[in-house]
Amino acid sequence: MLRKASLVSLFLTLVVIAGCAEPPTQQIQDAEKALKDAQESGAATYSADEYAKLEGTLAALRKEVADQDEKFTLFRDYGKAQQLSASAKADSERIKAASVEKKEEAKAAALQAQQVAEEAVKATQDLVAKAPVGKDRAAVEAIKNDVEGLKSLLKQVQASIDKEDYPAAQTQAKAIHDMSQGVSVEIQNALAKVGKGKPTKKK
Amino acid sequence: MALDQIHKTLAAVICILCFLMGCVQAVPPDLLVALEAIDQDLIALRAPEAAPEEYGQFVRQWVSLKARVQLDDDLITWPWESSDLENELRQLYVMGERTVSQLHERQTSQHRTVQAKVARLEERLHTTTSKVESIDGRILLGEKAVQTDLLVKQARAFFEQKDFQRAMQAAEKADYAFKAQALLLSQELGRYADESRIAYWQTLAKQTIDWSRIHQSTAIVVSKAERELTLYKSGRKVLSYPVRLGFNGMLEKRFQGDGATPEGRYRVTDKRGQGQTQFYRALALDYPNAEDRRRFDLAKKSGRIGPAKGIGSLIEIHGADNELLAQTLGCIMLDNPNMAVLYEGVSVGTPVTIVGALTKENTVALALSELVQRRDEI
Repeated sequence: MLRKASLVSLFLTLVVIAGCAEPPTQQIQDAEKALKDAQESGAATYSADEYAKLEGTLAALRKEVADQDEKFTLFRDYGKAQQLSASAKADSERIKAASVEKKEEAKAAALQAQQVAEEAVKATQDLVAKAPVGKDRAAVEAIKNDVEGLKSLLKQVQASIDKEDYPAAQTQAKAIHDMSQGVSVEIQNALAKVGKGKPTKKK
Repeated sequence: MALDQIHKTLAAVICILCFLMGCVQAVPPDLLVALEAIDQDLIALRAPEAAPEEYGQFVRQWVSLKARVQLDDDLITWPWESSDLENELRQLYVMGERTVSQLHERQTSQHRTVQAKVARLEERLHTTTSKVESIDGRILLGEKAVQTDLLVKQARAFFEQKDFQRAMQAAEKADYAFKAQALLLSQELGRYADESRIAYWQTLAKQTIDWSRIHQSTAIVVSKAERELTLYKSGRKVLSYPVRLGFNGMLEKRFQGDGATPEGRYRVTDKRGQGQTQFYRALALDYPNAEDRRRFDLAKKSGRIGPAKGIGSLIEIHGADNELLAQTLGCIMLDNPNMAVLYEGVSVGTPVTIVGALTKENTVALALSELVQRRDEI
């Protein structure tokens, strides 16, 4: 009787153990979701190396689960998979936060560059407004054309910011600023040549 | 008792041997350090952005193996037992080293390629700008010129940030922008390279010179491409002076304010001396003539010219109110000493023929040919 009871007890213990060895599906899903969140926050761009490592961790996690799944039920151990999914989730959240921060920094830098470029173009426009309207305007017609072009280029900076392509926005804004300064110098040189505006002539 | 002592001693010896020989670490720490260094090298080479596939391949294995190390698995082996983990780490190290070396080579090559490309673009921008200036094409290009300038500057900025991929993308866009510029200039100024149009201009000039010879009178021929005014007397060239034209001088005049200098057969309608003009001396021309009006009306009817545009007037050959100015609003400007000579030699009614060019190898045709040739180089 006692022997029979021991056998039943052993069987039940085995069933319990086997029953506990389930893959940590929820934890894996959480880790994958955290990775996706990190990716959507721009981690692949702003924390590229850490994001790549994170993808590596997820790959390792999937392999570990697959390895355990292949084993006989009684020998399965998902402890490592649990550890990996927990670490992947924690890393994803950390990387997401870091990426958001870096992205905000890049955005701030792009917006600042945009503002500097806009001010430079505005200053150039103000100079153009001082240009003569009479016969001497021939000297600044080509320059006016460039100022119109610069105004149009500012729209491209905004388009890059709208697309969240902050590195491109920053280089565009910097280039526009430099070009505006060049045009301003050109206008000043032209204005130095021309006299005061005289009545417009038909041509 | 002695036997017991021997057993105890033997057990102690076995334990010590096990401790000394069995506790062999499966992964040498320096191997992990070396792999960490490889990872850092790859990051320094911007592998995650520059070579995401290669870096991904390395890092997936590295993270996976590191996880196994960190999970304290497979760490202790018997001395005679081979460690799979160590073998895999060694293989990864070899692969990582190879990737670093390949990336380094690739980046050096990319650096050289992009550097050469950006330098070529900058040189091209410089040449194109000066060529466009020389043929008064700046306004004609509209925003295209600053757009191209922006792309070249962007390519330089990305190159300096070692973002070769973006630098190359900007450079390719700049290439395309240069091509678009050359195409637009060819469309608008292609007539300067058109043999039949040049032959027509040559005929106009010849007829004017013949008129001068037949009527034993003076006549003026202006070539816009050469920026030259020539005075003929009795069919003989007596003087040639350089001239400045409108700010859009190489174009055919289409409407008032376009900055173009008109082309065609005109006559001097008035001589304006000191006190009668603000430009030292002036010879007023009969622009717009009947042909100009016909062309203007046609263009307006076809919608090529807006309804609010006027045809313009007051086209003159005049002196300089401001010697420093390089361009006019559409007139023909001479230096004052030259204008003084011309003014004295010309009377009301003198024919003035203004043409685009008189030779096939005119400055506009040559500049266009060079711009188009450079477009095809890229």
